[in-house]
Formats: sequence, C-alpha cells, structure tokens
Amino acid sequence: MDVRHLSVEVRTEDGIAVLDLVGEINGFAEEAMNAAYAEAEAGDPKTILLNFEGVDYINSTGIALIVGLLAKARAAHRSLLACNLSEHYVEIFNITRLSDFMSVFPDEQTAVGEASEF
Amino acid sequence: MTEPNPARTDADLGRTLADFSVPSEPGNERLAMETVAETATNLGIAGENLERLKTAVAEATMNAMEHGNGYRPEVPVELQVLATDRDLLVRITDRGSGPPPRKDADAPDLEAKLEGMQTARGWGLFLIKSMVDEMNISGDEGHHTVELVVHLGAEGGK
Repeated sequence: MDVRHLSVEVRTEDGIAVLDLVGEINGFAEEAMNAAYAEAEAGDPKTILLNFEGVDYINSTGIALIVGLLAKARAAHRSLLACNLSEHYVEIFNITRLSDFMSVFPDEQTAVGEASEF
Repeated sequence: MTEPNPARTDADLGRTLADFSVPSEPGNERLAMETVAETATNLGIAGENLERLKTAVAEATMNAMEHGNGYRPEVPVELQVLATDRDLLVRITDRGSGPPPRKDADAPDLEAKLEGMQTARGWGLFLIKSMVDEMNISGDEGHHTVELVVHLGAEGGK
C-alpha cells in the first residue's frame, strides 16, 4: 500500500497562519510538518491553525509530531489550533488530552472567527 | 508487577476469518489495518467502532514491526482475525525476544512531554488499550502476541 506522504501549504488568514495538511501524519511527515511550522513561525503570528481537512490517517508517531509542534508553540507563547478533524481523530485528541492544550474547531471559518477574538 | 493476561488458546477460539502477514517496513501498518477492516466490516462492525479497531490494529502492527522485528523487512508480522459468537479477535505476532510489552504501562503524561521532560513519543500502547474492549499480551522466547478483542453486537466497541 502506497504511503500518502504529507504535503503542507502555508497561508495567512486574518493574521492567523494556516497550515493546510494533506496526506498522512506519520513518521514520514516529520520534515514537512517541521518545515511548514518554521515557515509559519517566520511571520511571528500569534496563532497557528492546523487544518486537517486533507488528512485521513494519523498514527502515534504523528501524534508525537503534533505534540512537538504544540511544545514549540507554547514555548513561543503562540496559540496552536486545529480544525477539520474527523470524529475519530477528535476522539483521539480528547483521550490524549491534546484538546486540553489546543482548541479544536469543526471548520476553518469557526476557528478563524474564534481566534480573532483571542 | 502485574503479569500480562495470556492470549486465548486456539481451543477457545471460533472461526479464523483471515490469516496473513506483512513485511516489517514503515507504512505497512496501513496494509494490515485495511485488511483487518475489510474482514471486520463483513461482521457488521462499522462507523466509529470500525475506526477504533483500525487505529488499534495499526498501532499494534507498528509496535510489532518496530520493537519486535526491528523494522527488518524480511521478518514478517503475522496477523490472524478470529471470531467467536461474542467477540472479534485480532492477534498480532512479532518475532521479538525478551519480555513482552507491559499491558499496565503508565498512561503518557502530556504535560511532561510538552515541558520536554518526556519524549513526545510513547502513545502506541495507550491508544491500543483505549480503542478496544480488551487487550491481552503473551510471549515466549521468540514471539510476542498482542490480542485485540472487540465485543460484537449492540454492546460492542468502546
């Protein structure tokens, strides 16, 4: 089975850096995730939004990558948010407690709207 | 230390629905996951219960490939899917030596990970246990087996 390697586009929406994630978040995704996060951070945004709309698989190594991004964001006093997770991965964010430290929104519009009020 | 529960013996089991192996190469956990999912779907497991089973199978296969077989492609991870009247069982076997993984391993501490006091990794066993109704672990000198159990019927799944 072919691995769908992660690709990430970085854009800005109302002052929020949005990372559009497409593919699988697993061990192969480390370089793409970290490079995209660094690109987003270069603009010194207050908030970074991970958009999972194009993601259909996250494994435990992918969870660790997200933990790593969250640690970087917290150290820099930035908010890291998530949107467009499937119901299953919302559950995973809940049981791992990731959702205690990064707000999870059903869609980008809601996330950007809420983040603008931070 | 609590001894891990032994996997059920073949005499306890019902039908074998699938029996296959995957080479220990990164990414092959998805092949294992999709193959088990196809079998589980035929038993009526669907929706969020199916997604939970898929995650558990993927994580257990990853552990077997990495920690049991050292990601040596020539050493396969073997998977069996079995059904009794009440349960679906998935047995995932590697060729690891030494003590099998601890079933009662501590839950990951996210705060410690975020503070850099623990590695960011270490979620696999926790996810497996969270996703299925039972997890049993057994091992001998040359094998470890993780058995995932999902109760069938209305009460099935977590």
